[in-house]
Amino acid sequence: MALISGFGERLPSTEGCSPPRDPLRILAALLVVGVLGSSGCATPPPPDDAEAVESFRRTNDPLEPFNRAVFAVNIEADRYILKPVAYVYKETVPQPAQDAVGNFLRNLGSPVVFLNSVLQGDVDHAGETLLRFLINSTAGVAGVADVAGEIGLVGRNEDFGQTLAVWGADEGPYLVLPFLGPSNARDALGRVVDYFGDPWTYLRYEKFNYSRRGAEIVDARVRNYDLIRDLEKTSVDYYAAVRSLYRQDRRDAITNGAEAELPAFPDMLDEEDDLEDEEKKPADRPAQ
Amino acid sequence: MKRKSPPTGRHNRIAGRRWAGLLVVAALLIPAARPAAADGVESFVHDTAERVFASYSGSDTDEQRARVFRELLTGSFELKTIARFTLGRYWRVASPDQRKEYRRLFEEFLVLAYANRFRDLSGVELRVTSVRTINKRDRLVLSEVDAGGGRPPIRIGWRVRATKHGLRVVDVIVDGISMSVTQRDQFAAAIRSAGGKIDGLLTMLRDKTTPRE
Repeated sequence: MALISGFGERLPSTEGCSPPRDPLRILAALLVVGVLGSSGCATPPPPDDAEAVESFRRTNDPLEPFNRAVFAVNIEADRYILKPVAYVYKETVPQPAQDAVGNFLRNLGSPVVFLNSVLQGDVDHAGETLLRFLINSTAGVAGVADVAGEIGLVGRNEDFGQTLAVWGADEGPYLVLPFLGPSNARDALGRVVDYFGDPWTYLRYEKFNYSRRGAEIVDARVRNYDLIRDLEKTSVDYYAAVRSLYRQDRRDAITNGAEAELPAFPDMLDEEDDLEDEEKKPADRPAQ
Repeated sequence: MKRKSPPTGRHNRIAGRRWAGLLVVAALLIPAARPAAADGVESFVHDTAERVFASYSGSDTDEQRARVFRELLTGSFELKTIARFTLGRYWRVASPDQRKEYRRLFEEFLVLAYANRFRDLSGVELRVTSVRTINKRDRLVLSEVDAGGGRPPIRIGWRVRATKHGLRVVDVIVDGISMSVTQRDQFAAAIRSAGGKIDGLLTMLRDKTTPRE
């Protein structure tokens, strides 16, 4: 928190967004900022600095000050609500029971995965998902045991954000959603579509649907408990690290793990380093 | 004398068969030579992974872990290249002193950030699934480890470069997430929020890597 607000204070355009410590006041401030949409925009770099412009474009976070404010609120909400709940769950519920809950939730998600696989034209994965659902709902006792996974039908997650990407949609600006975390315009829309595309939504068991969402959030938090702790502890800019991870993770999900485009690495044999080497031992190198 | 007589048709056929035999052997050897060349990269990755995965459980204290991990980093990773990559476009504008200090802090930062990251992988078996050529010097070794709990295996890509000191890792990509790219992105953001000053990042790295009470 100190880290995040520290960064916020250094950005000139976020002075109004720098979150106070009291969670309720943060929420109030957030709502005001959200409603009025005031001073939530990042300052673009001067247009004559081509590299800075390119970096700004690649970061694709024009709402950064606003996003950082929401991120700070989410961290507080996590610290006081979600993390304690996840911690108790993680420490008290035996691992097999945790696995069972995870399997059950994943099985409930199968219809959405199936629909999105169909929409992406991925007949194979649609079939695999259907088979997984049928096997786990029956032999796996309502999805509690991942029998299909054990016989090699591992499957993966598909959602409408990924479907839009497969259809050629851009990710749009990066967004941090209140309480839901990192996203972007495309994936936020995807969430809404998935909600309406999910058959369970139309079962009028409000309590069941709320419990399911709650359980999903806790399950995901527990699964990533150590990773989140390590990341928070070891980042110089936690917000930017999460943004980078989110983007890379989504790209991996969209391409179904096909090797993502690899970054170009500097070739250490180029002139700059030769110069460095020459500085160290000029006598060894005859002039050419 | 008979043996030295000009080859008859029969001899020709035999000689032909011998050549054919040689060709078959050669044909068998050539494709075999490729995996052999890739083997070096594969066993390097196997060896490195094994040591990385064992680095947590093999030590009792955090200090010991940090020492083991640092040895691994400096011995099996091309830190100079990684450091330079992660500073991105700011590398070129950094002064020689800043570069030197950045390299030193970056190594400290990696030890801090990753020395305890592999505790869940202690003793886990790594399977190399394929080796891909990226360019003349770089190979991407794709591997996986079991995640347990019916989950898909964790995919780990090792970008390995042939350097003058031998093979060195330049990036590790876990389930599509590149460690180097993640660091580059957050360093760029840190420099930007420090008003474009590299010293801002250096200060943050120094704060992070200095042990606190």
